[in-house]
Amino acid sequence: MKNIKPFWRGILFLVVFGAVGYGLGLGLDFLMVKSLRFSGPVPSVFALLFAFTAFFLGVFGFRGITRGLVWQVLGTLVGGLLVAGIRAIMGLPAFGDFFFTEPSWVFGALTGAISFLFGVGVLDDWMKWTRGIDTPDEHEEHYHGWEKYFAVSLDHKVIGVQYTVTALLLISIGGLFALIFRSELAESQLQFLTTNLNLFSQNGPQLYNSLMSLHGMIMIVSILLGTAGFINYVVPLLLGAQDMAFPRLNAFSYWVSVPAAVLLLMSLFLGGFDTGWTGYPPLSARAPVGMQMFFLGVFVAGWSSILGSLNVLVTVVRMRAKGMTAWRLPILVWAAVATGLIALTATQLIGLSFQLVMFQRLFGMGFFDPAKGGNPVLFQHLFWFYSHPAVYVFVLPGLGVISELLPVFVRKPLFGYKWIAMSSLGIALVGFVVWAHHMFTSGMNEYLRIPFMYSTLLVAIPTGVKFFSWVATMWKGKISTPTPMLFVLGGIVVFLMGGLSGPPNAIVSTDLQLHDTYFIVGHFHDTIFGGFVFPFFAAIYYWFPKATGRRMNETLGKIHFWLMTPAFFVMTFGMMYVGLLGMRRRIVDYDPALHLDATHFVVTIAAFLIALSVLIFFFNFFNSIKNGEKAEGNVWNSRSPEWQVPSPMPVHNYEKPLEVVGEPYGYGSGDDGYIKFVEPAVNAHK
Amino acid sequence: MYHFVIVGVLVILMTILTYMGIDAVGLARHMNPVSASAQAVFVDQMWHWEIWVISFLFSLIVVPLVYSLIFFRQKKGEMKDGEHVEGNTQLEIAWTIMPLIIVVIFAYFGAYTLGEERRVDPNAMVINVKAQQFTWTFEYPQYGFFSSELHLPVDQQVVLKMESADVIHSFWVPEFRLKQDVVPGRTTEYRITPDLEGSYKVRCAELCGTSHAYMENPLVVTSQADYDAWVQEQIAIAAASKTPEGQGKVLATSNGCVGCHSADGTKLTGPTWFDLFGSEVPLADGTTTTADEAYLAESIKDPNVKVVEGFPANVMPAFSLTDEEISNIIAYIKTLK
Amino acid sequence: MEHTQNKSSAFSQGVVIFVYLAVLTALEFAIAVAFDAVPLLVVVAIAKAALVAYYYMHIYKLNQEDADLDHHSYSYKTNTNRFGLWLFLLSDTFVFAGLMVMRLNLLGLSRPGQLNQYLGLGVTAVLLVSSFFMNRGEIAMSFGDTKKFMNNTLITFILGLGFLIGVVFVEWRLAAAEGLTAGFGSPATGPTGAVFYMMTGMHAFHVLTGLIFLGIVWNNARKGVYTAEKHWGVEASTVYWHFVDLVWIFFYPALYLIGTAVK
Ligand code: HEA
Ligand code: HEA
Ligand code: HEC
Ligand code: CUA
Ligand SMILES: [Cu+2]
Repeated sequence: MKNIKPFWRGILFLVVFGAVGYGLGLGLDFLMVKSLRFSGPVPSVFALLFAFTAFFLGVFGFRGITRGLVWQVLGTLVGGLLVAGIRAIMGLPAFGDFFFTEPSWVFGALTGAISFLFGVGVLDDWMKWTRGIDTPDEHEEHYHGWEKYFAVSLDHKVIGVQYTVTALLLISIGGLFALIFRSELAESQLQFLTTNLNLFSQNGPQLYNSLMSLHGMIMIVSILLGTAGFINYVVPLLLGAQDMAFPRLNAFSYWVSVPAAVLLLMSLFLGGFDTGWTGYPPLSARAPVGMQMFFLGVFVAGWSSILGSLNVLVTVVRMRAKGMTAWRLPILVWAAVATGLIALTATQLIGLSFQLVMFQRLFGMGFFDPAKGGNPVLFQHLFWFYSHPAVYVFVLPGLGVISELLPVFVRKPLFGYKWIAMSSLGIALVGFVVWAHHMFTSGMNEYLRIPFMYSTLLVAIPTGVKFFSWVATMWKGKISTPTPMLFVLGGIVVFLMGGLSGPPNAIVSTDLQLHDTYFIVGHFHDTIFGGFVFPFFAAIYYWFPKATGRRMNETLGKIHFWLMTPAFFVMTFGMMYVGLLGMRRRIVDYDPALHLDATHFVVTIAAFLIALSVLIFFFNFFNSIKNGEKAEGNVWNSRSPEWQVPSPMPVHNYEKPLEVVGEPYGYGSGDDGYIKFVEPAVNAHK
Repeated sequence: MYHFVIVGVLVILMTILTYMGIDAVGLARHMNPVSASAQAVFVDQMWHWEIWVISFLFSLIVVPLVYSLIFFRQKKGEMKDGEHVEGNTQLEIAWTIMPLIIVVIFAYFGAYTLGEERRVDPNAMVINVKAQQFTWTFEYPQYGFFSSELHLPVDQQVVLKMESADVIHSFWVPEFRLKQDVVPGRTTEYRITPDLEGSYKVRCAELCGTSHAYMENPLVVTSQADYDAWVQEQIAIAAASKTPEGQGKVLATSNGCVGCHSADGTKLTGPTWFDLFGSEVPLADGTTTTADEAYLAESIKDPNVKVVEGFPANVMPAFSLTDEEISNIIAYIKTLK
Repeated sequence: MEHTQNKSSAFSQGVVIFVYLAVLTALEFAIAVAFDAVPLLVVVAIAKAALVAYYYMHIYKLNQEDADLDHHSYSYKTNTNRFGLWLFLLSDTFVFAGLMVMRLNLLGLSRPGQLNQYLGLGVTAVLLVSSFFMNRGEIAMSFGDTKKFMNNTLITFILGLGFLIGVVFVEWRLAAAEGLTAGFGSPATGPTGAVFYMMTGMHAFHVLTGLIFLGIVWNNARKGVYTAEKHWGVEASTVYWHFVDLVWIFFYPALYLIGTAVK
């Protein structure tokens, strides 16, 4: 056992314990229903939980994340059984189709998530505080090397990497789901998701709906984690800070996202749900138990987002280096502030709206049930009040990365720095008053559609400022195009296409046709890829040497780019094309009379090519950690503070405090640079 | 300076090329499929303008970007920085104002075309629409019959009063260029003036559950004369259906049973009714049962008690039907041999 | 009236503010009984909220200069913590605002008629008085008087518990007995019950967490953890407790006073 590499030991454990979990689930299920349900939900849930936990057990041993997951499993069972017991006493059925009844699952999921946090140990310090025991500021790291990524660490750089890797994992899972349902869509008629299929107690179309809905939400969560990843890693470095303002809260924000991801995945096995990521009632009030797991998963992930952004805001306001005034902040910091403001406040509303549906299901409270005087459209208002601004949470950090990297590779100052900084805030603020553009057909007040059309179109203006300023930055520069720059450029063009496909949706008369068609699907894959996926990859290629002291392979990076970008164009053009020809969203099968088969087939091929390019990226990523070319200095010849110290970044960031003495992007000005390190004055502080 | 001239010319060229590209796949001048209503004309017009503006703005960004990439590259081995330009306030103001103007004009036209789309004809004909998982039912109140097909006379404005029996659906006919959700607990309105005869489909555009993809009902736009003939035919059928099985057929249509149960053996969301009566039905728990009156009545009242093999439980909604109505439906099922 | 540094005037300022709040609450009740003027009630609620936010929650401290610029000093960290806490409250405000929007959308200008007006006024008063004692406790702590802090916190705790019992165990039962149900498969009373239980329930949940925090700081004070200079834990729980009060300042009229009662 000892001489197997941890990763392969993990895989071995995964397979073995997965099988054990499956058997256990099968047995328990048999006790309940007296028949063997091989593709039933209970064996699958047990297999999932066991396999997942065992993988980490194999890799890392029984500590850190493994302990968290084991506690989560136990917590879920205890919570569920508790409710089952109470129900039995009350004379209600204690167990249901999915082993537990719905209330049991909901309560169990909640206790499970909380147990995870205790198990993983992220609450330890706080529990001490409640007993009046102080903990040292300088947190002692228990693990070193790769091991520190599997347990609680208070170092923002470690947390940033944890976020990033989790996000990549979720993108793979969400992407895998997309590949599955895209294969079904390659031709009209049902191929393998047929009505005869019965998996996790869902037939083909139901499974399609679950996969499609989960694809949407898992991808969105992965965006939230991905942006949190590079913000966490980079922003304190850009500010010249030692760490985030609240390191424990930072760790907490990351670690809650793990049980959240588990809950989201569990929803697939507990009957799934068929509402799309938007979860509109009354449909969501009728869906299987999986719906509740989805709600809870999003709810918990929401807390990650809220607390994480709170931390970023406080860090920016309180932890800047000397001389770093508002107009000398690196531009990515401005983007992080704008994002933080949205995530801090609006996120509560998606939590609330989902919570209300959860309560409607559990207690029969009729918030959205017209039969009880409720109002289904109210849900949509609450939901979109978050979920529209959320789309700017997806892109603002990415656009910040574009603005941050562009000057480095153009060797020219960022054109119109203040305008770009303000445009981020402008987008965030206007973004709060446009939500109803998702509801033009919903039957809300007809006349309100006009003001919402105007406000939505206004967002084009600050976004345009960014584009024009980027182009002006490039104008007469000295441009070089290593991999990160390629992804920056790709991001700009793709986001432009996504952005420009926005106004037709914002204009009511054309949206009445476009709403809920694949044109919208094309629109948002463009904006999301341009505003998040491309910049995310750019950020990884760019800061990888900072984190590891090694470079990622250029050639593989370029192959990744030149494979993904054309495939991506084909995919989204195809989506918009079929959408304009009458292809509805969220359908498992389409009318052959529409003659969409050929285009859909091409879109599916393109999707697989994207996946291939991502696989190449993964290979490059993991391979370069060990074998990449050494790069310990200022690889990109940047002015930014983090590049003025050796790579990988020292544990406590900057040995000497730094002071801002110039413009962040003063390329070509011949000045002394952006920052200088100050010798600590004698007895400045003890 | 000459850089600007070249870029300017290229932007114009690129705009035209982009437009022509979109036009070549048939998506610039109008949306697809064919336009079949008076309202669609305005939508297509709006769309055409949008394509021009998108082509222009796309070129306006992409051309200088690619141009810079080609002409302002760092030479091999060169380590120099670019020119130190921090910005230009006049330019920034210009490219804030220009989009603002475009946007305001656009929103104005958007509101204008929306107004045209919603223009009310006081003589509009009223049809009631009921949406449910997973079918549409149309009631012609002035004649008092139900139909699962929507027939409309050409060039006559109709207003559909739509209600939902369960979850949110959305009434969409791509050829009409209009979409309206149907929300439980309220009546929404869809106003349209078809202007092209032909057969289309009403497609549900809001995810409403398992068989959302199949929630499509036929729509026929005919000349006034053909429409009148169809109406007479329907009235005659309704009158002839005073028998129990006739009543049953009406009920099966008006309650949407036909959306999930076919009369000819095709497999829809639910099992077909063809040859159902008297047959041996395999159940999900492995047993079989004979489809007699009692079983059918039970299956209608409480579909989850005995679930048919190969079909999911909890899909068929519970209906509030009287015993007489149920026996009429069963009488109708009996006729399907 | 400026915020004061002197010990006795700090206490007496607390009394004055309490009197204002009490008078405004009485006024509120009177307005509702006499002429059902919603805009007036909104104005009164905002005035009360402003008093609480300024004098009890010391929102002005957000603007405080840093005495020590060293990022590791207690005073710098306290200012940082305070900013974080207020951001959290801002975030939480969106939950309550969302509930308020829901209430206005579903119930409009009607309100649950099954509620007991005297009980409503009573629990409101209890919560208000608890805020008064909380304020005294905090002032005591800021002058290093641990004993007095503990006594006042204990009173606050008991009053808070009283509020919680009053709402959850008395009002909920009375209302349920009057036929106001949340659902539970019983005949629907429209959304009134759902809205009422949701709003009070969410608020009660916050009261409960506030009580837990009070318990923790009380216990830590007993161990002598806090001093006049270092008592961030006390300040945080105090501000949180007043925030819970502040929410109720809006929820109370929204559920008990505005609009016409329907059963
Ligand atoms: C990354 C996320 C992201 C971003 C940034 C955007 C950006 C925009 N979105 Fe998008 N949108 C989504 C993600 C995003 N969207 C998602 C996920 C959905 C679907 C949700 C669902 O139902 O599942 C959606 C749906 C959606 C709808 C609802 C469609 C429907 O369902 O009917 C609308 C309608 O107004 C809309 C509009 C816009 C607009 C106007 C912008 C603007 O911000 C774009 C602004 C940018 C530009 C315009 C380009 C650059 C500007 C210039 C070059 C200046 C000059 C320009 C002009 C004068 C026009 N979006
Ligand atoms: C980050 C956001 C994001 C991303 C990256 C994607 C990526 C993709 N999306 Fe996504 N999509 C959404 C967000 C996103 N999507 C949202 C929000 C919805 C709306 C859902 C709803 O309507 O409710 C949606 C809906 C949606 C639909 C519409 C479904 C419908 O309406 O019925 C389609 C259809 O083609 C689609 C396709 C794809 C494809 C092919 C990709 C491809 O780019 C995916 C490429 C594959 C990968 C990136 C993974 C690669 C990795 C591997 C293959 C390795 C696997 C191995 C391991 C697990 C180790 N998506
Ligand atoms: C949403 C789709 C749906 C609708 C609408 C629907 N059904 Fe069904 N029905 C089903 C499904 C699925 C089954 C099989 C599963 C089961 O037995 O519960 C079924 C089963 C039945 C059966 C048993 C059939 C057999 O083969 O044994 C009868 C009878 C029946 N339905 C009658 C009706 C009637 C009458 C209506 C209208 C008033 C109706 N259904 C509407 C989906 C539907
Ligand atoms: Cu009805 Cu989709
Ligand atoms: Cu939006």
